[in-house]
Amino acid sequence: MGFVKSDQHDFSGDDQRKSSRDMPGLLRTLSTGNVAERRWAARDLAQYPQAITELLAQLRLEQDRTVREALFVALTQSGCPEAVEGLISCLRSEEANVRNDAIEAMKLMPDAVASVMHSLLHDPDPDIRIFAVNILESLRHPMVESWLLDVIEHEEHVNVCATAVDLLTEVGSSAAELPLQALRRKFPDEPFMHFAIEVALTRIQGG
Amino acid sequence: MATIEISLEEFQKFREFFYRKTGIQFDDNKRYFVDKRLVERIEVTQSDSFRNYFNTLRFQASGDELQKLTNLMTVNETYFFREDYQFKCLVESMLPAVCALKKPGSRIRIWSVPSSSGEEPYSIAIYLLEHWPQIANWDVELISSDIDTDILQKARLGCYSPRSVQHVQPAVLDRYFVRKKNGDFQICDDLRDSVEFTRVNLSEIADTRAYRNFDVIFCRNLLIYFDDLSRRKAAEVFFDALNPGGFVCLGHSESMSRITSLFTVKKYPEAIVYQKPEQK
Repeated sequence: MGFVKSDQHDFSGDDQRKSSRDMPGLLRTLSTGNVAERRWAARDLAQYPQAITELLAQLRLEQDRTVREALFVALTQSGCPEAVEGLISCLRSEEANVRNDAIEAMKLMPDAVASVMHSLLHDPDPDIRIFAVNILESLRHPMVESWLLDVIEHEEHVNVCATAVDLLTEVGSSAAELPLQALRRKFPDEPFMHFAIEVALTRIQGG
Repeated sequence: MATIEISLEEFQKFREFFYRKTGIQFDDNKRYFVDKRLVERIEVTQSDSFRNYFNTLRFQASGDELQKLTNLMTVNETYFFREDYQFKCLVESMLPAVCALKKPGSRIRIWSVPSSSGEEPYSIAIYLLEHWPQIANWDVELISSDIDTDILQKARLGCYSPRSVQHVQPAVLDRYFVRKKNGDFQICDDLRDSVEFTRVNLSEIADTRAYRNFDVIFCRNLLIYFDDLSRRKAAEVFFDALNPGGFVCLGHSESMSRITSLFTVKKYPEAIVYQKPEQK
C-alpha cells in the first residue's frame, strides 16, 4: 500500500473506446445510452455542426440535469443560428433551470445572439424581454448600451425597464443620462424605479 | 499624458464587474493595489481614461485585455504547500468521505492539474505521507498534468530553489529532498517516482477522454485564466473525470458555482470544495 503507478490507463490521448464515435453512433448513444454515455455523446457531438437538430431534440426530452448541461455547452460551442433559435425556444420553457441555462449559454455567444437581440427585446412576452436584458448582462458586444437605451426609451413594462436600469448602472455612459431622466417621468408612481435611476445616474456621473 | 486617477465610483464599478467575471473580490483596503494596476493598463493600452478602458474590458470580443488585467491582479507564483489548508481538508474531510464509498484496500486516484513545475503534486504526496497514516491501507495513484511539455520535464526532474521550499519544515526537507551542490533541492527518487506526469490540454476533448475514475482533482488558479466557455468545458471534463462523490478543489479566489451547477458545494471546516453528487 502507499503510492502506486497507473496500470490500466493510457493518457496518450489515443481513443481506446470500442463503441462507435461517428455521428450516427453518437446519435444512437445520445438517445439510448445511460446518463454517463449520453453526456459523453453530447460532448463528442459538439464537433458535428450537422447534429444541432438532434442535440436540440434531445434537450427537449432530456430529464437528467447533467446531460442537459453537456447539451447546452455543445450548443454554445457550435454558435450557429440554429443553435440560437433552439436556445430561444428554451427561454419559453416552463422549467426555470432550462431557462436559466439557456440565458447562461446565450451570454457566451455574442455574435450569434446579436442578430436576434432586437427581436428578443421586442418579444410580446415581457418575461422574454427581461431574459434578453439578462443576457446583455455579460454579453461582449459594443451594442449593449444602445440596446439598453432602446429598452428604457420604448419599453412600457416596469420590470423590464428596472432590469435595464440595473444594468445601465454598470455599463451606462453619459449617453444614458437623458433617457434615464425621461424614464423617471414615465413611471411617476414607482418609487423603486426612482431609486434605481438615482443610483444609476450617481454611478454614471461619478465615473 | 495627464495623470490618470480612478474615482471611488469607478473603483466600485470595476470591482462589481471584475467580481462577476472572475469571482475575485477586492475589499476597500485593496483600493491602492487595484488602482495601480488599472492605471498601468490604461496607460499601456493608451485608453486615456477609465471609461474608455472599462469599455474595452467590458465589450472587447476577444477578452484579451480582461485576461491581461486578470493576470496582473492575481499573484502567479507557485511554491511548496501553497494554500495548504486544502491539503488539510484532503486528509481530514475529503479522503474520509472518499474512503467511506470504497472497498477497503482499493485504489484512490488524485489528479493535480496544472502540474506546473511539480510543487503541487509533490506537496500532496508529502502531505499524505506526513499527515495521513491510513495511506498504509490504501493504494494511492497521483497523476499530474500540464499542457506544457517543457514544464512537465522540469516537474519530473523535481529540482527547486531555496525560495520554492521556504515553507517546507527542515525535518521534512531532510526526509524528502536531496540538497544539490548549487544550493537547490531535488525531490528524492522514491517520491519523484510516486507521481505520474502527463500532458493534457483541458480544452481538447480527445486529450481528456482517458482521465476517468478520479476521487479528488486539484485545479487551482488555472480557470481564472480561461474564458467563460473554456471554463465550462473544463468543468465538464472534471465532472466526467470524477467518480460519484469525488471532489474538485479550486484556488481560493475561484468558484465552481459561478461556472456550472453540476457540482455540490461542500463547506468543510478547512475549505470549501466541490463534490460530484453520489449516485442515487
